[in-house]
Amino acid sequence: MDQPTLRVESLETGYGEVQILWGINLEVPMGNLTSILGANGAGKTTLLRAITGILPVWKGKITFQEEDITRLSPHERAIKGLIMIPEGRMIFPEMTVLENLEMGAFNKKARANLKKNMEHALALFPRLEERLSQKAGTLSGGEQQMLAIARGLMAEPQVLIFDEPSLGLAPKLVIEVFEIIQKLKEEGITMLLVEQNVHLSLAITDYAYVLAEGKVVMEGKGEDLEESEEVKRAYLGV
Amino acid sequence: MLSAWLGATLSGILLGLLYGLAAIGLNLIWGVMNVINLSHGAFIAVGMFASYFMANYLHLSPFLGVFLVLATGVVLGMITYFISLHRIISAPELSTLLATYSVSLIIIGLGTFIFTTNPRAIDITMGSVSVGGTVLPMTRILTGAFSVIFTLWLYYFLYKTWSGKAIRAVSMNRDAAELMGVNTTMSLALAFGIGVALAMTAGALTATIFPFTILSGGGYELKSFVICVLGGLGSPLGALLGGLILGLI
Repeated sequence: MDQPTLRVESLETGYGEVQILWGINLEVPMGNLTSILGANGAGKTTLLRAITGILPVWKGKITFQEEDITRLSPHERAIKGLIMIPEGRMIFPEMTVLENLEMGAFNKKARANLKKNMEHALALFPRLEERLSQKAGTLSGGEQQMLAIARGLMAEPQVLIFDEPSLGLAPKLVIEVFEIIQKLKEEGITMLLVEQNVHLSLAITDYAYVLAEGKVVMEGKGEDLEESEEVKRAYLGV
Repeated sequence: MLSAWLGATLSGILLGLLYGLAAIGLNLIWGVMNVINLSHGAFIAVGMFASYFMANYLHLSPFLGVFLVLATGVVLGMITYFISLHRIISAPELSTLLATYSVSLIIIGLGTFIFTTNPRAIDITMGSVSVGGTVLPMTRILTGAFSVIFTLWLYYFLYKTWSGKAIRAVSMNRDAAELMGVNTTMSLALAFGIGVALAMTAGALTATIFPFTILSGGGYELKSFVICVLGGLGSPLGALLGGLILGLI
């Protein structure tokens, strides 16, 4: 156990001339829930964009299942099982809910198990089942987030990355999203979570990294960080 | 009197279906890639010439050759995408407008040089059918039927196949499609290839009805724009309907 599935070493990148990340080191062990915390502008989303390949890496190395994926394009990483549920959900609005789920299973490996995975996803999100033939753009924000998570699960992820899954959701739905993540953790899915909601994240996470100004300023077990005065001061505003 | 009306309506419908097919190629590229393909007309003309040469030198009926034109068009369109569009696909619209316009200039320039602008026509007689007192040439009926077939084929492709769904996903959100494992570069190239192929197919079918030169594509391109506006972006059946309206008018 605790074999790192995803490893980021001295990662540096940015946009144009502006460097955002200054040597990030991070590990996501198999079967664990790892969190990245940090204030706005700390570089969390940039880090995820580099990990999924949307943003090219300047320096450093990303290893996934003992394979160097630093130079692979995003879809090649997705085919290997590195799946991100993007911020702002990014569902396909003009497609039906069913088609959105099918798109999740686009890669050939997941396609073979489409039926089984569909049953699993719909069991997790019974509300989606009632809306299968509805256009995804007509769903409510909460339902769209559920659809985005279900679509991610359809891809049979080796590592599932969440980018701000609770963003813009009502408090009740935020709890629901975290319950889902907890449930997935119990199923043994390896996850990487980026969240603004520090309290809830630390409550369920195994290990967390705190990012500030493009560097990892702190790391540790979830419960340890929750006790830490420094985290509270910097990220909880207390 | 009545039969004159009927004849005009029927031939309007058949011609409209063909206009619709020509517009679908433009519509697809516009809807999926947000690129206004100004080389659309030039590719229609290329299709006309392809059909002409196959009929004259290979003695292949244009209605069989059209499938070959379709296949060639996909390949030609994908090559064009990688040469002229791939590097600027994320740039502002003006860049893609200029790029496709230069493709058009190159095709028409070369075409004028090689084929001159003398009008040509495919010598094809397939008899005619009499409907309610009006006589419709068989070629017109076939072009109409083929237009419907190709439109339905595109519909099937976009809504029932994995590659087609990927193209639709890319048109809605390119990043999300990429994150789902879709090779979006290939999807865009394929969309452009199919758009070009449909333009060439429409040209190949048109050539069986009307005489043409390398410059003929322009007029059809203009009609395609009108149809895209009438039928709405992103829907093949809408484009066919738009074509019908234009054909009847």
